[in-house]
Amino acid sequence: MLMVIVSGLAIGALFAATALSYNVMYSTSKVLSVTTGHIAMLGGVFGAYAISALGQPWWLGLIAAILVGGLFGWLTDLIAIRRVLARSDEHLWLLSTLAMATMVQQAVGLWWGTEPKPFPRLIPQDFSAGIGDQKFWLPIALAGLMAIGLEFFYRRTMYGKLFLAMSEDAFAARARGVSTDRIRVASYVIAGALGGLAGFAAGQLTFAYFALGLTLTLNGFIALAVGGLGSNLGALIGGLTLGLLNTFASYLFGGEYQQTIAVGLLMVVLLVKPEGLLGAQQVRPV
Amino acid sequence: MNSRNRLLWIVTLALVAISLPFWSSDQYQVHLAALICCYWVLIAGLNLVVGYSGQLSIGHVGLLSIGAYAFAILSGKWGLPAFASVALAGALCGLCGLLLGLPSLRLPGFYFAMATMAFALIVGEFALAQGSLTGGGVGLPVPAFPAPFDTPVGFYYLTVIGAALASVLTWNVARQMYGRGLIAIRDNPVTAQAVGVPVFRAKLTTFVFSGIAAGVGGALFGSLQSYITPDTFHFELSLFFFVCIIIGGRGSIVGPFLGVAVLTALPELVAPLAKLGNFFYGLLLLLVVLVVPEGIGRVFELIAQRLRPRSGVSVPVAPDLPRLAKAIASIQALK
Repeated sequence: MLMVIVSGLAIGALFAATALSYNVMYSTSKVLSVTTGHIAMLGGVFGAYAISALGQPWWLGLIAAILVGGLFGWLTDLIAIRRVLARSDEHLWLLSTLAMATMVQQAVGLWWGTEPKPFPRLIPQDFSAGIGDQKFWLPIALAGLMAIGLEFFYRRTMYGKLFLAMSEDAFAARARGVSTDRIRVASYVIAGALGGLAGFAAGQLTFAYFALGLTLTLNGFIALAVGGLGSNLGALIGGLTLGLLNTFASYLFGGEYQQTIAVGLLMVVLLVKPEGLLGAQQVRPV
Repeated sequence: MNSRNRLLWIVTLALVAISLPFWSSDQYQVHLAALICCYWVLIAGLNLVVGYSGQLSIGHVGLLSIGAYAFAILSGKWGLPAFASVALAGALCGLCGLLLGLPSLRLPGFYFAMATMAFALIVGEFALAQGSLTGGGVGLPVPAFPAPFDTPVGFYYLTVIGAALASVLTWNVARQMYGRGLIAIRDNPVTAQAVGVPVFRAKLTTFVFSGIAAGVGGALFGSLQSYITPDTFHFELSLFFFVCIIIGGRGSIVGPFLGVAVLTALPELVAPLAKLGNFFYGLLLLLVVLVVPEGIGRVFELIAQRLRPRSGVSVPVAPDLPRLAKAIASIQALK
């Protein structure tokens, strides 16, 4: 039973980290990028590639995962977001990020192979460690650190305050002399680096698998929608709830109905409280 | 396009479709054409949802899968007549569309896309989990249609009939007030509501219609494949339908048809593209979204505009000097 709770918290922490990464991008651009889950997938795959295939030490793998994630975040902004935001059609960013996500998933599938490959151990530890296993504690610790770090960044640093200003009102921020384009690029790079880090930390749980991205995009989004769009604490709560629900459902009914239960949770929350648990009430422009 | 031109196009297309089995070099081309027609039955319905009312549904493969499985189970396992099974598969998918649309069509763009994507994944999960009904991962044989349609060529004609029916139905919706209402919903839902378009009901009706089309398309598709597993209905197929419509251009019927025909045939004819597969579709989608968001059809329109001689007669503007001089003189006389 304890095992079920811990593994649920661990997978939930990965969902929460993905949701945080969504949030960082959403705060500056009001875009929910389909590529968010794929960033974490890239972190896992490139971490495993650097450590297993190239035989590098774990910290080089970590750096590789963060760099690749950040680079992909930057590319997402450059290719799929920048030009599209200049037009006013709200659907276009969904299409362009969907295209990016498909391309990167297929490219990784062609290069890395379509089988899940094992992710190397980061800290020497026996496989019989049970609930003390690093594959559970690394993602949980990382999601907590990410949330605290982001909160610190938003509240205490000048750049973080610029992010907040942009998320409140991008036009007003621009009028006050904030270079909104540069802040947006920075947010995508940060979100990419965080996503890559999350994928790296959870690699032993999910394996280095090319199709992980789509699942994470969906589950991270559900965590975000349940917790409330734009709220970091909500993302944590939503992610952990979803993870626990997933593993308990597998434990009680078998593993076949994970998506069904996740979407069921989303629907219930959207029906009862459409803005999510901690989200701000959205005002519809008329 | 005037009506005579359009009639010419339709007759040409019908002649090509009917005569295809006689001049095509091998059976595989007929199979490919039948596949295009099966896809088109679904895409014609999806086009009303994506292209006209602007709801980005990326999960229609779930409905296709339900249609195919329903046909296989009803007709193969329970021994119902084939055409009754098709009708039942369509009805079942319409019901599923209703159940999916009721909550999810109220959601804004990205939420709706994610809900439909989740629906596709859920259907895949159920197909795997309900082994006693769907055969699980092993799959299920799908029976062929009865006598005149049991050969490849006969079946091809059946799919052509289905595709033609779907085209006529969607064209009837699109060209009338209802279709204009859908376009209004796509472009600005608030304004559409203000001028009296029943936004939610129109979206829901179109979505249910697209579900029925997907069910019928799925039955034909399953019968064409003759054996289906959950892997037949992978999520990328859904993306493929979606890309066909976006590339063809939203708010048009010819565009998505050309899209599905070209995108189905191209990887088969050009071998390197088949290896890249979905990467190629992603790249195409990205290019279209970034360069011509209105769809490839827009490119042809622009080229046609360039080539066409300017219709307006240029009117040179020259001052009427004597009159001007007179006016000035009269002003000076007043002084």
